Amino acid sequence: MAKLDRWNPLTPLAAALLVVAAAYVGPAPWAPGAALAVSLAAAWWAGLARRVGALAAAVAIPTFALLALTNGVLAAATRWDPSAVQDALDVALRLGAAVAALATVVSGVAPRRLTRALSARGLPGWAAYLLVASLEAAPEARERARQVLDAQRCRGFAPGKGIAGRLRAILPLAGPLVSAMVVESDERALALDARGFRAGRARTALTAVADPAPERFARRIIWLALLAVLFWGLVR
Amino acid sequence: MVCYRTVRPPASRPYAISTLALALIPRAVALNLALGAIVQALKLPVYLDSVGTILVAALAGPLAGALTGVLSNTVLGLLATPVLLAFIPVTVVIGVLAGVFAKLGAFRRAWSAILAGVAIGVAAALTSVPIVIGVYGGLSPTGTGVVTMALRGAFGLSMESAAKVASVATDVIDKPLSCAIVALVLARLPARITARFAKAA
Repeated sequence: MAKLDRWNPLTPLAAALLVVAAAYVGPAPWAPGAALAVSLAAAWWAGLARRVGALAAAVAIPTFALLALTNGVLAAATRWDPSAVQDALDVALRLGAAVAALATVVSGVAPRRLTRALSARGLPGWAAYLLVASLEAAPEARERARQVLDAQRCRGFAPGKGIAGRLRAILPLAGPLVSAMVVESDERALALDARGFRAGRARTALTAVADPAPERFARRIIWLALLAVLFWGLVR
Repeated sequence: MVCYRTVRPPASRPYAISTLALALIPRAVALNLALGAIVQALKLPVYLDSVGTILVAALAGPLAGALTGVLSNTVLGLLATPVLLAFIPVTVVIGVLAGVFAKLGAFRRAWSAILAGVAIGVAAALTSVPIVIGVYGGLSPTGTGVVTMALRGAFGLSMESAAKVASVATDVIDKPLSCAIVALVLARLPARITARFAKAA
């Protein structure tokens, strides 16, 4: 059992949103720096440090490099502008903190548990269905794309040279994917109708997600802190 | 003698979504991801990550299109890059506009679909610029970010102007192509299926 699964999924989600808000509203570079440190510490505690660190670095480092290069060298034209590097660092720290906080929740909480917790808090049946079905369809998608590509190659398909040739190759690949998607949807809709699915009806979960009173209280405090941070950001 | 009371069907709400559209949306989200994989395999300088959104909008209306856009970015945000969650408003604009253009009949012919794609591309680019500036400081670590950097270096444009020009330039290629693919696929779909969608929408 993952460490974050011991909690109701809404609690780490609320905490992550608070960290993101603090990173963007608080004074840079200290607030985003602290938010990044807290997020990475939480990821380390949850045993997700490597994945979360890699995701945050993959977004923050290229952004820092692009901004520092463009604003510090190219835009300044004649002389090096050190303030541009400070601005680039602020943006990269904020981005890194946001990615690390959200990635910790996303990697540590099973999407089905999150959907069940949201359903228990009043998420309508249609929204729960869409979220779960989309999350389940996503891993199949890349496999399906690979299958279509392999099938067309077996029929002698070869993308032409240059961009125009490769653009022409899109239709033989996208066509079967799109047609299959529409036909499958028709069959899925019939199955939903046959099962008496009603969009507005709440779903009944087989196993309820625990939400003990102390955790609900802690979550209320986090939501209030989030509102306070946002309010401070507006009036500052 | 037995009398039966007339039973009226429940009044349909204007924002209600059909079962057919509900079944289509998750498949369209998967299609957005699958086409992303194909574009990567072909090493093309476009995204084509909105074809599913535009197709749902064309078949099931603007609300279903917007929902598909929201879900695509939510799922990709949950599974791959959380930053994509910030770009949800852009996908809503794409879904709604595609649905409106579909109601005007823009997807009946390839050329009108391409024109609709240009309009959708410009609107999507203008919506994404404030987000790119707020989240990335103007330069996203993608092809668009590199174009922004080049424009800023070559012409000395402000960050906002360079980001706007770069976003419009890339989206004005990507979205018409996506719309043309949707129009071509719609023309080849069996009439039985398109009729079911027309009835449900």
